[in-house]
Amino acid sequence: MIGGRARRRLLEAGQVVAILAFIAIMLVPILWIALAAFKRHVDVYQLKLVFTPTFENFARVFAEPYDLGTKLFNSTIVATVTVLIAIPIATAAAYAFSRFRLRGQTLLLVVILATQFVPAVVIVLPFFLMFRDLGLLDTLTGLVIVNLAIVMPFAVWMIKGFIDGIPVDTEEAALVDGSSRLQVIRNIVLPMAAPGLVTAGIFCFIIAWNEFLFALILTSREAVTLPIGLALFKAEEGDLWNLMAAAGIIIMVPMFVLALLIRRHFVQGMTMGAVR
Amino acid sequence: MASVSLRGVTKAWGAVKGVDDQSLEIADREFLVLLGPSGCGKTTTMRMIAGLEEPSAGDILIGERRVNDDLPKDRDIAMVFQNYGLYPHMTVRGNIAYPLKVRGTPTADIAPRVDAAAAQVELTALLDRKPKELSGGQRQRVALARAIVRTPKVFLMDEPLSNLDAKLRVSMRAELKNLSHRLQVTTVYVTHDQIEAMTLADRVAVMSEGRIVQLGSPERIYNDPETLFVASFIGSPAMNLVAGRIVDGVFSTTEGPLLTLPPSAPVRAHDQVVLGVRPEDIGVVAPGDGDIDATVFAVENTGDSVLTTIRLGAETLVARSDRYLKTVIDERIGLRCSPDHLYLFDGPGGKRLR
Repeated sequence: MIGGRARRRLLEAGQVVAILAFIAIMLVPILWIALAAFKRHVDVYQLKLVFTPTFENFARVFAEPYDLGTKLFNSTIVATVTVLIAIPIATAAAYAFSRFRLRGQTLLLVVILATQFVPAVVIVLPFFLMFRDLGLLDTLTGLVIVNLAIVMPFAVWMIKGFIDGIPVDTEEAALVDGSSRLQVIRNIVLPMAAPGLVTAGIFCFIIAWNEFLFALILTSREAVTLPIGLALFKAEEGDLWNLMAAAGIIIMVPMFVLALLIRRHFVQGMTMGAVR
Repeated sequence: MASVSLRGVTKAWGAVKGVDDQSLEIADREFLVLLGPSGCGKTTTMRMIAGLEEPSAGDILIGERRVNDDLPKDRDIAMVFQNYGLYPHMTVRGNIAYPLKVRGTPTADIAPRVDAAAAQVELTALLDRKPKELSGGQRQRVALARAIVRTPKVFLMDEPLSNLDAKLRVSMRAELKNLSHRLQVTTVYVTHDQIEAMTLADRVAVMSEGRIVQLGSPERIYNDPETLFVASFIGSPAMNLVAGRIVDGVFSTTEGPLLTLPPSAPVRAHDQVVLGVRPEDIGVVAPGDGDIDATVFAVENTGDSVLTTIRLGAETLVARSDRYLKTVIDERIGLRCSPDHLYLFDGPGGKRLR
């Protein structure tokens, strides 16, 4: 028999091991990429931690023929514009869903989400044909439209959750105090939902930033984004892992910086629903 | 300042009627309390006056003006919510200033008025805090200050004290009373707490199932209830109510004759009747000296008085006596009912028999 205390110790130790294993599974690939980005091509497959670091990979990915700079620019524009359009519209929709009783509300909410149940591969071809006819192939505008379609359902649902968490009393107090509905939204709802809006914004940015399939099919030269740029490194001379890793770092770093900058909002937003 | 009138106001959600064809005249500067159990329609009535709920039928007037189609902001009212409805992202100062700011008061006028309102409710030291840094009582004061920073035509208060602990509630009640006396603004106050209603109101409207069942001064409501519902709702401990019948001026329960009614009793014979008598109108006397002899079931000393419970068959009676009464469980005692304070209600309908 194991005593109660010993058993608890054992359990705790087990937990720690499990957590460490989980973290390792998550982080080792990233670490591998981070190291590979600074290795020469010949060193990539050697698992040694000591090597002569080089910045040559970063220089090469920005040069022709890879030209990652343009792709970085494209990705930034697409993701940023998507967020700038998606969040205000989603907020308006979420507010309506949260505060007004609409006919067929539940159905509508499910339908919005249901657009995401359709596998992207299934609808990418219709999108291609439609965009070809509309002249939107290989344009940033086209990519923004596609990304909006992808992120809006998530944004609406997420923001609705945050607005649901704002007590109706507070809004009614503002109405009685002399505000119009729009003033209530501007003065009360938006400031109170701000952490949530930021969270939703980051979420949408990440989705748009990493979007691969649509960008792959719908762009060819002008509007190619970073994730597609990555695929260029699967060349005839084999997989250029060192270049791919350098490009991977360039894709990841903005995410890290973004997350660090708005960490406070992010945590606040993530816990907002929970601590009521 | 203004009067408030409800004329045949109904609020229905499908077949459910929250407020049923309600009419009510509230005089200028009156403090009217809407009192009733939860779900009786009191809050809905108030919310319709505020414009937060649209009446299904009827008219609402503030002053002489019909406000049915006015937005809340155009009704010139101030409201205190049960959960205070403070703006968590603003300081206390910002909260109190908001009604002025949003109505376009010149900036120079705002600060002195905020200071004055804060001083009225003793918040001056806390003006730069956020609501989450305040205690429940302090939040309540912020809500009050926000209401009094303007001089609206009508104050609406929706259970403003119910989230406070018992002790704070009593002291805030006194402050509210003092404040309303000083401000002299028409006030509609919703509560389910009969003590709040009794202490604060000029008139109390007791509501049940979407209707006002009695409207009158607190004294009138307490001393002269018109229905069984009002009698049972007002008073703590509640009025003793015993079902039975009256034959030849004698009230009997299924257990047998209980009490000979005084000559002033409104009926001499009635088949189904409920006899009501308040605990403080029952005296505990020596066995044989009273109207009823009984055995003590429980004795509760509340500090300021002693509650003696006796059982009569299935019925329970409570007598409230002064704090020096000494009785023990199972003791035989007599009970004497004050003949001027017996209430008789028609059994099925609950209407007072007069």
